[in-house]
Amino acid sequence: MQAVSRPPLSVLAAAVVLAAGLVGVVRGAMPQSTAASTAAATGTSMAGMEGMSPDMAIVVNGAYLRQPANRINAAAYFTVYNTTGTPDTLLSVASGAGAQTSVHTETAGGGMQTSDGGLAVPAHGSLALTPGRGHVMIEQLYGPLLAGQTVNLALTFAKAGQVLVTVPVIAVTAPAPSPAGTP
Amino acid sequence: MMRRWAVGLLAMLALAGCSSGTAHPKTSELNDHTDTTYSGLGLTPPQPRPQFTLTDSAGRPFSFGTATAGKPTLLYFGYTHCPDVCPTTLADIAQALRAAPASVRQAARVVFVTTDVKRDTPAVLKAYLAQFDPGLPNPFVGLTGSQAQIDAAQVAAHVTLAEDEGQTHAAQVLLYGSDDYAHVAFLQSTDEAAQITHDLALVAK
Repeated sequence: MQAVSRPPLSVLAAAVVLAAGLVGVVRGAMPQSTAASTAAATGTSMAGMEGMSPDMAIVVNGAYLRQPANRINAAAYFTVYNTTGTPDTLLSVASGAGAQTSVHTETAGGGMQTSDGGLAVPAHGSLALTPGRGHVMIEQLYGPLLAGQTVNLALTFAKAGQVLVTVPVIAVTAPAPSPAGTP
Repeated sequence: MMRRWAVGLLAMLALAGCSSGTAHPKTSELNDHTDTTYSGLGLTPPQPRPQFTLTDSAGRPFSFGTATAGKPTLLYFGYTHCPDVCPTTLADIAQALRAAPASVRQAARVVFVTTDVKRDTPAVLKAYLAQFDPGLPNPFVGLTGSQAQIDAAQVAAHVTLAEDEGQTHAAQVLLYGSDDYAHVAFLQSTDEAAQITHDLALVAK
């Protein structure tokens, strides 16, 4: 919503973020974009939390992480869009927030398991990680993750390569944002 | 390059615009519609409020059936190391109560029973639940006990027994009404909070 009401600043901020992404600058230096911190602080609109590969083959949005109530582990959610006609695979996710980061998906039995072989992102399709269906699990947290902060994730795809995503931390009791683009 | 950024921004805005903005509450898609009164999953036949005694977060015995009798009560089984569904569900419950009429909020009780008896001590449960219930008139009750007691509580509440040291557990939130029956349960979804708010008002009468 901020992006709509204050176009020049937000567009500039987003452009800076994209520029950083495009030229492949630094992994740890991206979190503090104006748009990201504003949206995270309000805890409302998660729009603007996107990441994409340089050629825009892969676009990630709707990313959020609920402030962990247990201070032990955290789960991040997002939706990955494949804008190309070729299937891609999310191979792995890295984060600087904890010692261990892995992708967990739902098993047939209703439990969760580490996704070893990667997750398919169909051609012109999407992959949504939502509570109960899948998440990026960050364990052995290096410190507290608090609402209003952001966490950087580096997603590695088989074809699109690395995509950096800035994930806002939402309040413990904030509403779960709807996965964008799902019916 | 500038042109590329502009296209990228447009793409992002378009995607962001796809979020659904449907009116709440949206009836659960898993509702079998045998009873359209409720937004959650209708339970047919209704399940009686179970009787079991566990230990609360102050280390005292808590007799669920007696302590919550006659009060609209949300009962949920989970564990504090759970990264995803448990905190999301508890957040949904907290939102639902904040959105409910003051009289309903005042009457409602929330009980969280751990499925991980090894790690979820009374102190751990207390610190965990205190993150979710600030500002609500009734603190969330956290219960633990021996594995046998927890198993018995799950059986009494007609939920699937948790496995893998409590990590695979029943996902539903049971809502017992003032008539001491659960007519409805809820599964986590983006509509869960609105469903609970809607149905709480019905069963609180």
